[in-house]
Amino acid sequence: MQDLKKARFQMTWAARVMAIAGLAVIAVGSAPARADEIDAAARERARLVAITVCGTCHGRTGNSTQPKFPRLAGQSANYLAAQLKAFRAQTRGDPDAISYMWGMASELDDSTIAALADYYSAQKAEPSSNALSLQGGTGKQIYEQGIAAEGVPACSSCHGSDAHGVGDFPRLAGQHSQYVLKQLASFQSNMRNVAVMHGVALNLRSPEMSAIAAYLEAQP
Amino acid sequence: MTCRTQSQAIRSVLAVAVLAATSLLAPSLAFAVPSFARQTGMACEACHTVYPELTHFGRVFKANGYILTNVRQVRDVSGKKEELLSLAQTVPLSIMAQVSYTQMKTSVPDLTAAGAPGVAQNGSAGFPQQLSLFYAGKIAPNFGAFFQLTYANDSGTISMDNTDLRFADTALMSDNHPLTYGVSLNNNPTVQDLWNSTPAWGFPFAASNANVSPLAGTAIDGAFAQDVAGLTAYVLWNESLYAEVGGYRSAKQGSTNALTGGAGPLDGTASNVMSGVAPYWRVAYEHNWKAHSLEVGAYGAQFRLYPGAGAPLEGPLNEFKDVAEDLQYQFIGDENIITVGATHIHEAMTLAPGSAANPSDTLNTSRAWVTYYYRRHIGGTVGYFSTSGSADPGLYPAEPPPSDSGVAFSSNPGVVTSANGSPDTRGWIAEVNYVPWLNVKISAQYTMYNQFNGASKNYDGVGRNASDNNTLYLLLWFAY
Repeated sequence: MQDLKKARFQMTWAARVMAIAGLAVIAVGSAPARADEIDAAARERARLVAITVCGTCHGRTGNSTQPKFPRLAGQSANYLAAQLKAFRAQTRGDPDAISYMWGMASELDDSTIAALADYYSAQKAEPSSNALSLQGGTGKQIYEQGIAAEGVPACSSCHGSDAHGVGDFPRLAGQHSQYVLKQLASFQSNMRNVAVMHGVALNLRSPEMSAIAAYLEAQP
Repeated sequence: MTCRTQSQAIRSVLAVAVLAATSLLAPSLAFAVPSFARQTGMACEACHTVYPELTHFGRVFKANGYILTNVRQVRDVSGKKEELLSLAQTVPLSIMAQVSYTQMKTSVPDLTAAGAPGVAQNGSAGFPQQLSLFYAGKIAPNFGAFFQLTYANDSGTISMDNTDLRFADTALMSDNHPLTYGVSLNNNPTVQDLWNSTPAWGFPFAASNANVSPLAGTAIDGAFAQDVAGLTAYVLWNESLYAEVGGYRSAKQGSTNALTGGAGPLDGTASNVMSGVAPYWRVAYEHNWKAHSLEVGAYGAQFRLYPGAGAPLEGPLNEFKDVAEDLQYQFIGDENIITVGATHIHEAMTLAPGSAANPSDTLNTSRAWVTYYYRRHIGGTVGYFSTSGSADPGLYPAEPPPSDSGVAFSSNPGVVTSANGSPDTRGWIAEVNYVPWLNVKISAQYTMYNQFNGASKNYDGVGRNASDNNTLYLLLWFAY
């Protein structure tokens, strides 16, 4: 145990459970915290929860290697916080959200959500080891230009030319292609009920979705 | 070896082998329980491929002491923010039932007419075969439990089944890698293990208790399940490297001291009483990549037993030294799930004079299986099993021990005997499963023996073939 960090970096499992359950000392229902409002204790709690609980699926630094679980490193904090709140409210209804995240997020308070979102957004997004080396082709074309004939807008118009996300629009670069595909299918079927993305995905065919997903996973 | 007969001693050692063999093909079943799902708010698939096989997340959940919770708690906190109490508002209880039907290829003789043409009924319904009540979940902030209380139709009683109490915590190493550490207080060597390649949680996950079991099984292969108390300490580094050491001591259920009537101390009227503490050890390494997971490991134990059974708890011991290797591979996709499991157990026996025909014997058990599931709904497993070792007519006798049955045989009924004293048994198990909902499973399983108690033909010397023990087992298995 000599290698363990100092006591201040340690936290009992109980405390982590408490933190993730949102039952620490923070009032439930407080106003959403901005990154600069997250105190040091909340940051430390979030770091421990992220590494020892969330990390089992999403990776210690949010660079998940398992395609079922999305990569969170470098993701927009606003987007992450919005998703955690959607899980908590059970308004995000894609299958894995229901199976996994409705439970995990059910007792998170706003402050913990803000701290977790901040932790992941601050992590360095590493290139996906599963990515195919695709830099061009159909995926790139649809991402950058859309499909005018089908009424599909360019993805880059919201997600940024480098797919790193803009504002509340999430980062897609380096994301598992399997995850992106499942989300597009969920938008299309409205299991994940987001009006904008439903419209975007509605006319996408399966090969086109696959091309976009593969292109995105290969982006740095 | 004073005051005891050779037949008593042999029966004593035989009891270990038979207990192990019984557990080999009819394991005391335990289970993934819906109370965990209620506690975590996550569906079964987070922790299981299909119950009771664990995913990586399930293994980490277990190592952390079953305490991850996402439900509102009744709490008490001191002025120094020390957590004094954390109780779930929903008690983590579950029930589990197994209803089964067993058909053997050839029925066994009717003992009331041994030597005559009469046979026992073939086609045994278990309704239920087993009914269990679980408490499975968090007890206190760093303390969780898996308690199973079971009614079984063969014993006709309710008794303590698999139990695993854990204290666990996780710390971050200087390089931000998590180190989980804890202790387990449990009643079955390997029931605390994280992988499904070790005996307590290995395939077959369910089996008939109305069939014929082979004579031989290694000691670590369930011989002491629910009959011992063990304390082990473990570490899990970075959710991949696992090490555990501990020890077990006899803790027999339903056994009382003949003099005082108390639950102990055990004396020579009991059999197979552990001398001191039986050491147990386990190492394993798991690597996860993409949707794959691969584990390789080793485990072992050394059981030193007083034969007892009427002899004082002193003098020569029967010693069973088990060393085993195991492997597990999983591919877990949304559509397809593939699991490969395997273990090989080597046992070296040193036997007290009069306990067996030989002063030392060896016994090896190997098992391997492949499971496939489509969308967690339809799947199947094919498995191979083999036990082989030294021939020892003392351990694997040609006639049933006379006191093991209340009936005086008019002639040797065979079936559970070995004409040549060999333990060698091998065969295949094939199983198909339909899982309409994640907590309900319907199975059809067929066990086929190529060799049984030392031979494929006339293994018992009275005309029974190994294949006569082939068993069809139909099962409805559910939990809530």
